[in-house]
Amino acid sequence: MIAALPRKCILILLVLSVLASTGCHHRNQTGKDIGKVAQPTATAAQAPAVTPAAAEAPVPAEASYGPVADPLYHWNKFWFGFNHLFYSGLMRPIAVSYAFVVPKPVRSGLTNAYQNFIFPIRFLNALLQMDFKKASKEFGRFMLNSTLGIGGLVDVAKADPNLAPGNEDFGQTLGFYGIGDGIYIVWPFLGPSTLRDTVGMAGDAVANPLTWIFGPWSIGGEDNPWYWSYIIKGGDVFNNLPNRLEAYDSVVKPAVDPYTAVKDAYIQYRRNAISQ
Amino acid sequence: MQRFMSCLVLFLILMSATVSRASAGPATDTLSQSVDRIIGLLSDPAYKNQESRPGLRVKLIASIAEIFDMKELSRRALGAEWNKFSPEQQDRFVKAFGTLLENTYLDKIESYTDEKVQYLKEQDLGDGKAEVATKVVGRGKEIPISYRLVDRSGWKVYDVIIEGVSLVQNYRSQFGQILMNESPDALIAKISTKRS
Repeated sequence: MIAALPRKCILILLVLSVLASTGCHHRNQTGKDIGKVAQPTATAAQAPAVTPAAAEAPVPAEASYGPVADPLYHWNKFWFGFNHLFYSGLMRPIAVSYAFVVPKPVRSGLTNAYQNFIFPIRFLNALLQMDFKKASKEFGRFMLNSTLGIGGLVDVAKADPNLAPGNEDFGQTLGFYGIGDGIYIVWPFLGPSTLRDTVGMAGDAVANPLTWIFGPWSIGGEDNPWYWSYIIKGGDVFNNLPNRLEAYDSVVKPAVDPYTAVKDAYIQYRRNAISQ
Repeated sequence: MQRFMSCLVLFLILMSATVSRASAGPATDTLSQSVDRIIGLLSDPAYKNQESRPGLRVKLIASIAEIFDMKELSRRALGAEWNKFSPEQQDRFVKAFGTLLENTYLDKIESYTDEKVQYLKEQDLGDGKAEVATKVVGRGKEIPISYRLVDRSGWKVYDVIIEGVSLVQNYRSQFGQILMNESPDALIAKISTKRS
């Protein structure tokens, strides 16, 4: 009976996905260059993202970037403030002590293991974007790190520049097929997102092995411990909190208007991720 | 087994070290010279103790001012709003914004330990502009940082893009938001009172 809960959540998100695809608009990023298989490094794929800036007038009206609608401004602003208090206030001392007690190699080992475990998300989304080079890279990383890297604890594949870690997700796949950001949404605890990336989160949950091991359709039957998938995901978030706070600070500390700075940084980061 | 593994890892590391050297361009040359000078200052043992800290800061600011075009950076951070500022307001804006960036990024620069900068490639953006893609490698982390430079009797940086997030674009969003409700003078005051 309790197993029906996550299923319901996913249904709601899928309904949102239909809304998103009807409400989607223009896509101002150059798409992924599928023909780029010959590029030796992963970073080389960054090139198409920057070209629109080249053709601007002497007056610095650089129109390379369309703003994202923010109709939920008041809701967003409230949860932005809430998340700020929660993570930057309440959780920060806990994260700092955690980082002090648990040495960095252990923390990154745990992150590596989790990232290795959820490799199907990246692999599937690379395939969905018909980026076979990336898909084979993810597969190679998974094989190498699962064996030589002791079940993913050590990222041995990273030493090869052709096997650098990737970050494909379903939100990027939707973006690849021309679905716009939709609107900006700040979720409680989850932080900044867009309508498209919210739908993407549902897609990622479907591709996450945890959903299948502990989730509603799991092989374990009706009385499987479904909450474990949430505990493991929460654990990964907590384990990454020291790093996440550092990244958050690097955006918020120099900001004159922190809300807008975080919104803009999120949108730019995602557009860049989609373009490569 | 352990031996085999460490050999393999070593081999992979050596391979990655030899592959990453990319072709350079004029913008890359200017940028790398500046970066080398700044790293030279930071790793100079004469500046390692607490008393020489202010002296280091003065030299760092001078070196950074040489490679950054603060006026161009400010102009772009304001976008179309720049023309709504009077020349006097523009001057004050450039100064205030420059101080804000100095204050926030000098601490970061001074926390430099032994990171290495790799120059990946240079891309011509047309109009005497170029983008230099670099990667900062250190302490188990790799941060992609791109610099956009413009050639005006010497290459100068007008934008920094960290992990795909453009500094100028980020500030343009913020300033645009503030200027919707507030005057240029209020914005300048906000920037100069901001001390992190």
